[in-house]
Amino acid sequence: MKNRTSSHFFILALIVLLTAIAHYSISYGALIRGYETSFFGAMRNLSLIAALAILPVFIKKFLRYQGNWTIYTACVLLFSIGLTVQYRLFSDHEYAADIPRAEREKVQNSTMSEKEKSRAMLRLKLQAIAREREAKIQTLQMRYIKENYSPEKKQIMGLPPTPPAPVDLDAEKFRPPNDSIMSLFTSGRTLIPLFGIFCMIAVFITMRRDDVQRFLQDNGFLVVMLTLGPLFLAAITSRAGKSIGNMTPWELSKIPFLIGFAAILAVLYKNLAKTYWGIPRAKDVLPLVFMAVLPFLPFFVLKDFGQMMVFGSVYVTLYVIAVRRFSQRFVLVGSVVLVMSILIVGALPLATQQKIPLLPAVAAPVKAVLPNRIQQRFHLWLDGFNPPEPDVKWWKEDYDDYYEDLVKAEPKLPEMLAEDPNLQKAINIDAWFDVLAFQPAQATFGIASGGVTGRGLGLGYPELIPVSDSDYIFAALAEELGLFGGLLVTFALIVFVSAGVQTARDSRDMFSKLCSIGLSAFIGFQALVNIGGITRALPMTGITLPFVSHGGFSLITSFIMLGMLMAFSHRNAIDRMKDMANVIPEPTPANS
Amino acid sequence: MSFLLFLFIELPKWLKPDQIFGGQVLERTPAGLSIVYLIGVAVLIFFLIVTFIDNFRRPKFVFERELPKQVKKKLTSTLTNRSLWIWQVLFVILAFTVFGFQFYWTRYALDDTGQLAKLSYKDLRNRRTNAATLRGWMLDRTGKLDAALAYYKIDTDGSLDREFPLEKEMAHLLGTERGTPGLERTLYRKEADSMPEAWEILTKYKKPEPEEKDVKITIDRQLQAYSAKLLEGKKGAIVVLNPQTGDVLAIYSNPSYKLSEAESLDGYLKLEANKAEEPLLNRATRQFYVPGSTFKTFTMISAFRAGKEGTVLPGKAAPECYTPFRGSRPICDAGGSCHACGDVVMKEAFKVSSNQYFAQMANFLGRERMAETARILGITPAETGPEALTQGFFPEVWNASNARIANSISPARSTIVTGSDLTEYDFGVEGMGQGMAGQMTPLQMAMIAAAPANMKGMLMKPKIEADVPPQIFSQVLTPQQAFTIRDIMSTVTEEPGGTAGIVRTKLAGTGIETGGKTGTADKDGVQVYNADGTKKTRKARKKVDGEWVEVDEPVKFTRWDGWFLLIAPLENPQVSIAVVVENIGGSAYGGTTAAPIAAALILKLRELGLLGDKYKAAAKPDKPATPAKTPKKPR
Repeated sequence: MKNRTSSHFFILALIVLLTAIAHYSISYGALIRGYETSFFGAMRNLSLIAALAILPVFIKKFLRYQGNWTIYTACVLLFSIGLTVQYRLFSDHEYAADIPRAEREKVQNSTMSEKEKSRAMLRLKLQAIAREREAKIQTLQMRYIKENYSPEKKQIMGLPPTPPAPVDLDAEKFRPPNDSIMSLFTSGRTLIPLFGIFCMIAVFITMRRDDVQRFLQDNGFLVVMLTLGPLFLAAITSRAGKSIGNMTPWELSKIPFLIGFAAILAVLYKNLAKTYWGIPRAKDVLPLVFMAVLPFLPFFVLKDFGQMMVFGSVYVTLYVIAVRRFSQRFVLVGSVVLVMSILIVGALPLATQQKIPLLPAVAAPVKAVLPNRIQQRFHLWLDGFNPPEPDVKWWKEDYDDYYEDLVKAEPKLPEMLAEDPNLQKAINIDAWFDVLAFQPAQATFGIASGGVTGRGLGLGYPELIPVSDSDYIFAALAEELGLFGGLLVTFALIVFVSAGVQTARDSRDMFSKLCSIGLSAFIGFQALVNIGGITRALPMTGITLPFVSHGGFSLITSFIMLGMLMAFSHRNAIDRMKDMANVIPEPTPANS
Repeated sequence: MSFLLFLFIELPKWLKPDQIFGGQVLERTPAGLSIVYLIGVAVLIFFLIVTFIDNFRRPKFVFERELPKQVKKKLTSTLTNRSLWIWQVLFVILAFTVFGFQFYWTRYALDDTGQLAKLSYKDLRNRRTNAATLRGWMLDRTGKLDAALAYYKIDTDGSLDREFPLEKEMAHLLGTERGTPGLERTLYRKEADSMPEAWEILTKYKKPEPEEKDVKITIDRQLQAYSAKLLEGKKGAIVVLNPQTGDVLAIYSNPSYKLSEAESLDGYLKLEANKAEEPLLNRATRQFYVPGSTFKTFTMISAFRAGKEGTVLPGKAAPECYTPFRGSRPICDAGGSCHACGDVVMKEAFKVSSNQYFAQMANFLGRERMAETARILGITPAETGPEALTQGFFPEVWNASNARIANSISPARSTIVTGSDLTEYDFGVEGMGQGMAGQMTPLQMAMIAAAPANMKGMLMKPKIEADVPPQIFSQVLTPQQAFTIRDIMSTVTEEPGGTAGIVRTKLAGTGIETGGKTGTADKDGVQVYNADGTKKTRKARKKVDGEWVEVDEPVKFTRWDGWFLLIAPLENPQVSIAVVVENIGGSAYGGTTAAPIAAALILKLRELGLLGDKYKAAAKPDKPATPAKTPKKPR
């Protein structure tokens, strides 16, 4: 097996086959649960993967791609796993339950305030979900009755008196999927991946040109400046880290930022080695610091701390690779570790802090400065199963909302609270697990219930985790495919990143080296931050699992990154071929 | 040719996934396919790694080849590439660390701290599987499906509903879905959802055998409904036990509520707030009553156990009556004088319900003996009055297949006070069923009557599940003693001059002989409620800190409760009945209020054939016994 298009084509064909099997399994599991999955949806997914499987033939033939196919295949594999899990979730009626249009309009046209409206919407949504859930539960119950109840019992119940018989799925009537061919073609789930693939090819064609690469290398500063404008606009108009329609258009800005940083580092890395008393010159350091800090500003405004984490780790990667002096590496890495540890110490739960002498005193000022959102996330991360006290500032508002609803249902509650001090504790726990910790806790239970091989596609309950198609897709995957599935995703990631690192290693110049490693680090770290957030290795942030999560701009960005990486790989191969053409090869040919 | 055709038709069938994985368990197909998928992806990744490793080594640059090793080492590309190597290794380590966390949550978290296991009730998956498991049907003692007490029904809109034909008559027994559970939430076996993994489904998981989830209980549906009818408009309770087996044939407390009313939180709170009626309170097992004269049965049993049944005690006329000690208030019979005067024997005293005799008997037997009898009958003897009120519940009294069931219907612990602080007057009053004896539940009283009604003089543990073998609570009396006591009890109902002659009149012509004991108890300091359910108060002046202040003082009154214990048929008692009716007014007696109810119950029992074949009534036209229509539950 060599890096031939044919062998990768074979692997890709296998991916199509396996995806088909997985989709069949999901549709069968759905029948067991009493609903039908969308046939068109499955066909769409399979066609997408099939298109990606055939694409190498064209890229090879018409675009004369010479680079490493492993990058591409690993991404397609991740993408196919993602589509499978998404198909599982979206075909679930309970997961896809939506508010009836009439009710939605009624709420929107009412005179309520924005906050009340959103709460009313949430209530309606929960009702819609509960309706679908009831229908699913009843299907199972009716099936049990059909299988076990005697004819006499059935008659008393008001059913036809048939003897108990095993369930015959062929004879049963299911709730049909709610989709049509037309909606399929206009759906974002079809168009976005197609657009992503298109972007990938376009970027590949553009980036493999020498002049384009040289232009980017020389004008990194300009590229970054041009990106900043729209980004700040997005930052100002957005709310709570999500812009209109849950889209995050600033995902795209990762690429120009990376190019800018790589370009400036590629110019300065040699100068940085020239030190005076161990310190490099200010004119070498300042532009670098400026470039490094720039992306953090808009992301701080956007409160997108996940992106900040990814950016931070990618920039550290680039810096450490480009700079050769140990002391300089140490200064940067050391300061990053210091900042991180201060953050973590500050956000540690109080009970843990008190175990170590002096720690609360040190942590108190940090805690006061940290934004609520970060404190909340850190608590969920480090102490997620213990609710905070109801008067903690970042929890008080949610708790009060929850409490208010309770009092509405039971006006005597305040008196009862005064009598029974344990009651408040119980309410606090309920509120915690129903509001803030709901999603992470359900995800953890899901992961735990998955076991080694998972519960089987279509047989778990990932629909209980809200929005598990994007941020929490790994939880859904771990529940239905288990540890084994998680391990496979980890391996696919490692293969992708290794291929990316190899591209960087093969590169001839610093700029493409840094760009290649930066791109693979972006995807790799984003995946780790996402998976780590779900498995509680890191605080949970709202970023997606590249290629796997359902997402708009994040998916497009990932495909563009893939295109760029392929372009760099292609250039390396061309360079090497030029080498081979000029000089007699070594006795041990490493590559054909 | 035909073989080919056969192949063409049969092959697709054989290749169907359900065929391959075993179609008898539906879940096997997706589980098997998932595992195929996982293995497939694993193989694929292996291929990918193989293709990748093949071109892993970086070819040397042309100019590098001629350079000496020392120089090569310092080249930028060599240095950066070494960093890249290190970075790659670091990334792999990080990736596996993150995966390690998934490993932790899957394999170790449940056992590690126990926190996750403790919180599993927050796992919606558990709630989901619980909600999807159907409960069994609850059948009455006849075991007929069409007389089910709780069953499923398809509603008009196609939804599956739990129906309770006796939703009001059995509300206390069944229990609501909120608050403390009743039988409905504890009776049925629950198979734990093992949540198998795909691999287990494929290799180990078998279709569970259809198991009998329905539970037959000892309650008779018609009798229970009839009991509710008898107490209509009254407050009180009825307990019907079979003294030979402990079967509870009917147990009802009025006022009751409809289960559908308690379904919504609003409705439940409304029921809870109704302090005047207290519909949520199960009076049959959890309300303390003053037993009045029915408690003389207890004192009589004590006397028999001590071998003092032959004691002759004096009955004196007013104003002397029985004066336990100098300066004490006298204890007289109802009406202020003596019903049985002169030298009184137990039989006579019991028949006319002599207070004097049994008060004297209690003091004559002493506290030790009384306490010992109490223990053997399931009553807790307490040292002091306050202690007697705080003894909690007594689930162990039930003969139940598990503790959950026993807890869900556990009665309050009935108590008497036998401490040495009690004066002889107080203890005498207690011996005749007033004063400190006032913590009796109707179930406990039925058990007191059940001990002598048992042919062997044993007290059987009451039981609610029909399929549980009878269990002995204690050996109270010898069979001979039990026979004698039954004989004494029959004087109350069968002999002229007995306090419950009305029973004999009512049962005339049936040939059923009965025994019993009436009781009329006064309970002091019972709160009066207004029509709107608030406590009735009146303005009163009270001295607080030396000053007279006007305060709202609750209005209280002395409530008269009518009691009746009945055992029937006398020669081989099949039932022991306790009836209590609250607030009968000062001029009525247990013999005139509670006894007719008990007599009516006997007639019904006879009709149902529960008194034995000998007393079976002439066959009545059978009513079509379909489950009664219950009102639509609000959703």
